[in-house]
Amino acid sequence: MTTISSGLKISGEISGTSDLYIDGETQGKIRLTNARVTVGPNGRVQADIEAREIIIEGSVQGNLKAGERVQLGAQSKLQGSVLTPRFAIEDGARLRGKVEMVRTGASQASSNTESAADAAKAKVMSASGKDE
Amino acid sequence: MSWVAKTRINTPAVSGPRDKPGPAAVAGSSGNVRVSNGLKEFLWLISDSEQGRILDLGPVWQATVSFFIEKGFRVSTEDLLRAWKEFLASEEEDFRRAPVGNETPKVSPTMFADKFLDNALLYPAEHFHGVLAWDIFDYLDAQLLPKVMDRVYSMLRPGGAVLSLFHSRTPERFCRYRIADMQTFELLPASTVSVHARVFQNREILDIFGKFRSSKTFVGRDQVREGLFLK
Repeated sequence: MTTISSGLKISGEISGTSDLYIDGETQGKIRLTNARVTVGPNGRVQADIEAREIIIEGSVQGNLKAGERVQLGAQSKLQGSVLTPRFAIEDGARLRGKVEMVRTGASQASSNTESAADAAKAKVMSASGKDE
Repeated sequence: MSWVAKTRINTPAVSGPRDKPGPAAVAGSSGNVRVSNGLKEFLWLISDSEQGRILDLGPVWQATVSFFIEKGFRVSTEDLLRAWKEFLASEEEDFRRAPVGNETPKVSPTMFADKFLDNALLYPAEHFHGVLAWDIFDYLDAQLLPKVMDRVYSMLRPGGAVLSLFHSRTPERFCRYRIADMQTFELLPASTVSVHARVFQNREILDIFGKFRSSKTFVGRDQVREGLFLK
């Protein structure tokens, strides 16, 4: 397992096959489709995360796409969308965004999913306007 | 989806083993569980939507998310009261940190409300089929309330529904809510995120939902009024 320790700050794209534990700050994009990404209690992530399994105990701003499951811990804070076959939320977790469940493996192929971040960027239209 | 045109002859798509009306179907509460006709009607109204979108304006709960996901809905959550509290705390901190002697801009509750909504409830128009507002309208500041109502109305699809609760007196405890089943939700006592701002009279409730084309209210034995409002 690779660890980004508390006090460390990384910007850019992270990809590979090793499990990743983030307890520091990360910005950019994380793509570990066959591995597990864990954001520790001190972790601060501003990135979209794509992984087999995603566990959040800290703070994440970005969209999550998991092949198997996403878990939000009691102290976690997520702003972004979640696309996963299985989703576990502990009481106390905070989520601002959208949850969409897909069949196992389907999240990897899904391409038409709108994200809460996208939605957040969208201007609120008038009541008579149409978004789709 | 039409409130009046829709009949109960069709089996609701979100039907479940506990959705048959029975003696407990009268709105009321027992301990931390509340049997809710409003919730039942809300689910019935949105049951026609395929891959419908629900917005929960309370905190995220596994039970609520799972409940809707299992029925094929997409769920968004945004804990509006907590976000508002954090926004105010942040503004206060900024104000405190401002160097002494600097000319501070004039602030007003309306400006705060506008600034808050620059980063909250940002969804496209006509995006949601249903909004679970719980009792947040009882807690919102007078300046923020109408702006939130406008935003909620805008992001609701025509025919979409809002479920809201109104206390007939100041509640003893601040509670959050999560769905237990088709006609029941749980009240979860929580640390106070926001102070109860007001008790709405019936006329006031109808006024704040004035843009909506239809409304229905249910009063529980605990005198909490459930309101269902249709765009």
